[in-house]
Amino acid sequence: MTKPILEVKNLHTYFDVEGQTAKAVIGVSFDVMPNEFLGIVGESGSGKSVTSLSLMRLIPDPPGNIAQGEVIFEGRDLLKLPIEEMRKIRGRDMAMIFQEPMTSLNPVATIGKQVCESVILHENLGQAAAEDRAVKVLTQVGIPDPRKRLKDYPHQFSGGMRQRVMIAMALICQPKLLIADEPTTALDVTIQAQILELMKEVQSLRPGSATILITHDLAVVAETCDRVIVMYGGLIQEMASASDLFRDPKHPYTRGLMGSIPHEDDRGKPLYAIPGNVPSIMDFPKGCRFCTRCDVVMERCENEEPELREVGPGRFVRCHLEGLDTPATSNTEGN
Amino acid sequence: MSTSNDKKADKPLSVFQRRWRKFKTLKRGWYSFIALIVLYLFSWLNPLFFNNEALAVSYNGEMRYPVFADHIEARDLGQRKIGAPDYRALKLQYAEEDAGNYVILPLYPYGPLENLLKDPTLDGLRPPTAPDSNHFFGTDDRGRDVLTRLVYGFRISITFALGMVLLSYAIGMTIGAIFGFFGGKIDIFGQRLVEIWAALPFLYTVIIISSIIQPSIKILIPLLAIFSWVGISFYMRGEFLREKSKDYVAAAIAIGEPNRRIMFRHILPNALTPIVSFAPFAIVGGISSLVSLDFLGFGLPAPTPSWGELLNQGISHINSWHLVVFPLLALFVTLLMVVFIGEAIREAFDPKVFSRLR
Repeated sequence: MTKPILEVKNLHTYFDVEGQTAKAVIGVSFDVMPNEFLGIVGESGSGKSVTSLSLMRLIPDPPGNIAQGEVIFEGRDLLKLPIEEMRKIRGRDMAMIFQEPMTSLNPVATIGKQVCESVILHENLGQAAAEDRAVKVLTQVGIPDPRKRLKDYPHQFSGGMRQRVMIAMALICQPKLLIADEPTTALDVTIQAQILELMKEVQSLRPGSATILITHDLAVVAETCDRVIVMYGGLIQEMASASDLFRDPKHPYTRGLMGSIPHEDDRGKPLYAIPGNVPSIMDFPKGCRFCTRCDVVMERCENEEPELREVGPGRFVRCHLEGLDTPATSNTEGN
Repeated sequence: MSTSNDKKADKPLSVFQRRWRKFKTLKRGWYSFIALIVLYLFSWLNPLFFNNEALAVSYNGEMRYPVFADHIEARDLGQRKIGAPDYRALKLQYAEEDAGNYVILPLYPYGPLENLLKDPTLDGLRPPTAPDSNHFFGTDDRGRDVLTRLVYGFRISITFALGMVLLSYAIGMTIGAIFGFFGGKIDIFGQRLVEIWAALPFLYTVIIISSIIQPSIKILIPLLAIFSWVGISFYMRGEFLREKSKDYVAAAIAIGEPNRRIMFRHILPNALTPIVSFAPFAIVGGISSLVSLDFLGFGLPAPTPSWGELLNQGISHINSWHLVVFPLLALFVTLLMVVFIGEAIREAFDPKVFSRLR
C-alpha cells in the first residue's frame, strides 16, 4: 500500500471564547493519499476550515490552540516543528488557496510581485528567473498574456481571474499538498466550474501530489473529489469514496445534505432543508452531535456518542443506526 | 474619462500613482510643492549667490576661486590686510589700480556670518540698520545682513525639519508596526511604556539637555525626533491592527513568509495613508520647533543663521521693524506652502472625487 502524504491523527483544536473553551475540532483523523482529491464537506461551523488551518498551523494563537493530535507530513509532526521550519514548509510543500479572491491579494502590490514572492523566498531564484516561472504558472492557470499582466494590480482582475492568480501563487513552488478552502464560494457558477476543472488539471500536472478541497457544496464534491469526509460539530461523521457516498449515503446528516440539493423533479414542491440550526458550539448535545436535527433520532442518540465505525472497505460512519439491520427510513429519499 | 481608460489599457496605475496624478491637478498644492523643492535645491547653491567670498579673482594673471578654495591670505591677492581678504574692498582696490586684475563677486556679496560694522555700506551707522539699496532687508543687531541670514536659515530650517520627520517617522513606524502586528502582551506593555514616554515634558527635557551640551544640528535632530515619534506610532499601530487581519496577510503567512517581510513588504504599503498625509504637517511642526527653540536660545549655537534667533532680536529691537517683519514673513510663507502641500495630499488621498475645498 502506498504511504499517505499526510496523516492527521486525533486532531483537537480549541478556541478560548470569553473564558470558555469552544471545541471546534474534536479528534479528527484522516489520511491523504498521493494523487488523491479529498473533499471535506460540512455546514458553517462544522470545523472544516479550522481543520485545514490547523494543518498549516495558521490558527491564530491566542485565542485558538491545537490542543492535541499529530499532523504527520513526510515523516515529521508538523505540530511539533519550530516555527522557522514550518515557514519553510508553508508555500513550498504545502500551499493554501483562500476563499475570498477579492481580499486575499495585496491591493498595492503587482500580481507579478505576489506570484514570484514564494519562489524567491523558498528557492532563492533571482527576479528574472522567478518571473519566468510566474509566467509559466500563470499560463497553466489560464491567464491570457501573462508576461504583460505581471505588472497589473489585483483591482484590474475579475474575481475568477484573481482566483486563478491565487492558484498560481499556491502552485508556483509545486507543493505536494494543496489545501483549497472554499475556493469557489465567492465565484459565479460558470466560473466555479472552470476553477474546479483547473484544479483537477493542475493536480494531474504534479504527479504524486494531493489536494484537499474544503467546501459546503456537495455538487462541487461530486464533480471533483475521489474521497469525501463529511464533518458536523467538529467531528467526522462519515468518510467514504465519492462514488459510495453519493450512491449510498449512510449518515442521516449526509442524507439530509443531499436532500437539500434542489432537484428538477421536485419543481413546485417546497425545498427540503435539514430542520433546525447548527447548535451553538458551546452547547452541543451530550450524545450524538446531530441528534437535535436528526429525523431518525433514537433515545440512545441523546445520551451516548456514537463511535466512528468502519462499515465497509474505506467507509466510516458515526451513527448508532449503522450495524442495526433495520435500514433507516427517511423522508428525504436521498439521491 | 475616456483618456484615463485608454491609458489604463497599456499602463497599469497603482493606487499611489493615481493619487500622484490627482495631487498634480490640485494647483495650489502642486505649485507650492514645486516652489519648495526648487527653493530648497537652490538653497544648496547659496554660497554662489549669497556670499562675501568672491567667485573668482584674477590677480597678476593668476585665476583663483575663493568660494571653492580652503583659505586665501589677503596678502597673496595684494590687499594690505591680515587674514582673509575683504573681496568687496579688493574689487574697489583693483578698479582703482586698473592693472588688469579683477574680482567676480556673488550676486549679493554679503556673508551669513559676516560682521559689517566696519563696512563702508553701514557708514558708521549703529546696527540694526533699516533696509537700504545695499542691504535689502537691513542688518541685525550685530551688523549682519538679514537677507543672507534668512536665506541660509531657510536651508537649515528645511533640512532640520526633513531630518527630524524622517527620523521620528522611522522610529514611530517601526514601534507602531511592532505593537500592531504582534499585539497581545507586547502591545499592552509597550503601549504603557509609550504613554510614560509621551508624558515626559518635552520642552523642559530639551532645554535641560541643550543647556548641558551645546546642540549642533546633528544632535538636535535626533533629540527632537525621539520626542516626536509617539503620535505616528499610534496611527501605525492602528493601521497594522486593521491590516493584519486581512486575507492577503493570511495568504502571505501561508506561503511561508517571515514576519519582517510581511510587516514591511505587505502591510506597510497598505498603511502609508496616514504617514503621507501627516508628513507635511509634521514638517510644519519641525520648522516651528526649531524656530521656537532658537527663539528661546536653546537651539542651534550662536553664529548659525536661524529664523528663531532673528525673531528674538526683533523682540529686543522692536523699533527695527525689519527684524520682525522679514523673518515672520519668511516663516509664514514657508509654512503656508507646506500647509498647501498637505491640503493637496489630503485631497489626493480622499476617495471622494468631488470636494468643496477646491
